[in-house]
Amino acid sequence: MIDIKHLSKSYNRKPVLDNVSLSVRRGSILGLLGPNGAGKTTLISILMGVIGKDNGEVTIGDLDLDRDLGRIQSICSYVPQTLAFYPRLSALENLEYFGSLWGLRCRKLKERMAFSIDVGSMQAFVDKRVETFSGGMKRRLNLAIGLLNEPEILYLDEPTVGVDTQSRNYILETIGQINRERKTTIVYTSHYMDEIEHVSDEIAVIDEGRIILHDAKDAILIHADAILIRAGEIGNAAVTALENHGGIQVEEGSVLIKRDERFENNMAAVFTVFHNHGISVTDIVFGRRTLEELFLKLTKVRLRDEE
Amino acid sequence: MTRLIKLLYALKKEFRLITRDVQTVTILFVMPAVFIMIMSLAMRDLFELHSSVSINVLAVNRDTGKNADAFVKAIEGLPTFKFHLLEKDATTERIRKRMFAEDYKFALIIREGTSAFVAGESGEGGDKPLELLVNPSVNVQTQMVLKGALEKNLAKLRQDVLIDHLGGILQAAGIDVKKLKADNESPIELRYAHMEGRSSKVPSAVQQSVPAWLVFSIFFIVIPLSNTFISERGQGTLMRLKSMNVSRISLIVGKMIPYLLINVMQAVVMIMIGMYIVPLFGGTALTLGSSPGGLALIAISVSFSAISFALLIASLARTTEQATTIGAVLNIIFGALGGIMVPTFVMPRFMQDLANLSPMAWGLEGFLDIFLRDGRAGDVLPESLALGLFGAIMLALTLIILRRQREV
Repeated sequence: MIDIKHLSKSYNRKPVLDNVSLSVRRGSILGLLGPNGAGKTTLISILMGVIGKDNGEVTIGDLDLDRDLGRIQSICSYVPQTLAFYPRLSALENLEYFGSLWGLRCRKLKERMAFSIDVGSMQAFVDKRVETFSGGMKRRLNLAIGLLNEPEILYLDEPTVGVDTQSRNYILETIGQINRERKTTIVYTSHYMDEIEHVSDEIAVIDEGRIILHDAKDAILIHADAILIRAGEIGNAAVTALENHGGIQVEEGSVLIKRDERFENNMAAVFTVFHNHGISVTDIVFGRRTLEELFLKLTKVRLRDEE
Repeated sequence: MTRLIKLLYALKKEFRLITRDVQTVTILFVMPAVFIMIMSLAMRDLFELHSSVSINVLAVNRDTGKNADAFVKAIEGLPTFKFHLLEKDATTERIRKRMFAEDYKFALIIREGTSAFVAGESGEGGDKPLELLVNPSVNVQTQMVLKGALEKNLAKLRQDVLIDHLGGILQAAGIDVKKLKADNESPIELRYAHMEGRSSKVPSAVQQSVPAWLVFSIFFIVIPLSNTFISERGQGTLMRLKSMNVSRISLIVGKMIPYLLINVMQAVVMIMIGMYIVPLFGGTALTLGSSPGGLALIAISVSFSAISFALLIASLARTTEQATTIGAVLNIIFGALGGIMVPTFVMPRFMQDLANLSPMAWGLEGFLDIFLRDGRAGDVLPESLALGLFGAIMLALTLIILRRQREV
């Protein structure tokens, strides 16, 4: 559905996106992860035609971003991380205004507004001014506005920032429901790893303008067929000794052992190497590793400047 | 058609935003209305001949002669000044103390020898017959008015005494002495000049203050417009609109038209206040010129330049506080320079030249052409073109800045 090839973008000669290539399947939910300043918002802004790209090709379905921007914008919708509406207007008035910009009129506009109100569960306060809303209500309206044009692709930029648990769950369930029922392709960025784990089919990690990981969620996270052994510092000699064995993957501070026909031999080998090199085991995880663990490993733990 | 409908929804949205903002309504409607009321009433006597205000003057007549009494009688008839006579033996020190204690602006001492001066009997180089004590807070123009009135009355009295003295000779020469003495009429006929000799409107405070404060308030559109624009930018609404295929030009036009209509509403409301509310408080009613087309042209030109200026401020400022401060300060400078607060005709020459730099001065002159000089659309064309050019430059700069910022 979304096909990005060698996309680059710089601001003042500083690369923000560096040769990004990424494909998103039709009807899937891509969780886009990245530290602050990694290039997530820039990538979405380019895909929505809000800012231009320097190099690369982007196709959405059969449409080319350079040639068919108007048509692309009409089938996509962008829900920014900011609360992008008018606080002095009511929810209904906001929906009416944004719906009109999508070219919706009369009965169609009313139908789409009714749908968005329903999705946002805003029936009780739809006539009230948005400035009186709670954080959760505002987030739901932000999302509801993005659904007015029945988008084929929905870009959600941190849609649950600053909301309570109930509203967050509601938003996540709604996103899943829209994806299931309408086959909407969703690109979802968030700082909350559990959200991405919960909602995504595919996960891409972007850091310093480059995609450093992109795969199906299960391929990345599910290690039901593996055991993760966390340990202290694993020196180079130990790494070399372990990597001689197939089915053992050494990562920083941990070793992943696949549960295949070599599993028992590999387990024994790992403990032997650890014993020989004086490495102590701190934890053994059966099954799955967390996304947060993987994310920190990939992007390192150092602090990043604000995006 | 689709664009028109989108524009109508944008208008609806902007009107809702503006009318729900108490600060905006106050700045755009209440502030100029209050200024018009205050200035029209406060400055009424500066412009109008039928003054109801009189300035109190202390007076002491130290002369015992009949000419001095006749002089006192004459000056008591002055329309603008009210004389309060003290006893003849009041000392200068007492007069001075009373002046400041009771806030008199002037004290007139009619010295001994005034009657002799009137009769032409005083010698060369003697004391002047009149002494005028002036409160330093009085402006020079008012001093000149009283001084002139006193000089005129004293001169008239001397002339009458001379006519009496020469009565026989004048009568022998066939001159009607009574007619000569009774001739108090000013030899000057005062007429106001209007464009191409149309009508004969008398200037009034309301004719000056309505256009002045209307132009000022139109330029104050900078505050609501920039606040809305910067909030939209900060909240990501502009980015969302751009992602919805709303072009930069559409955004700008969608902002300009509602505020243009707001400015037109301001003009209608302020004119109505001048016509119907100011008279209720004793002021003169505003009279419009005979050119609705000219009025519309100058109003729209002022509005266009004010909105374009506001958009430039909005695009340059990063926060609403910055925009409000910069916009308000520049407006006050434009206003002070452009004759809004102080009419340009009382300014020194170099200040009048400086006033030409202010777009508010162009707008004010245009409105005065219509309201006061009975001008037509053609007469306000130079001001309208200047305002249009100013607006176009502001708009072009705005578009360049927004393009470079890439946020809109």
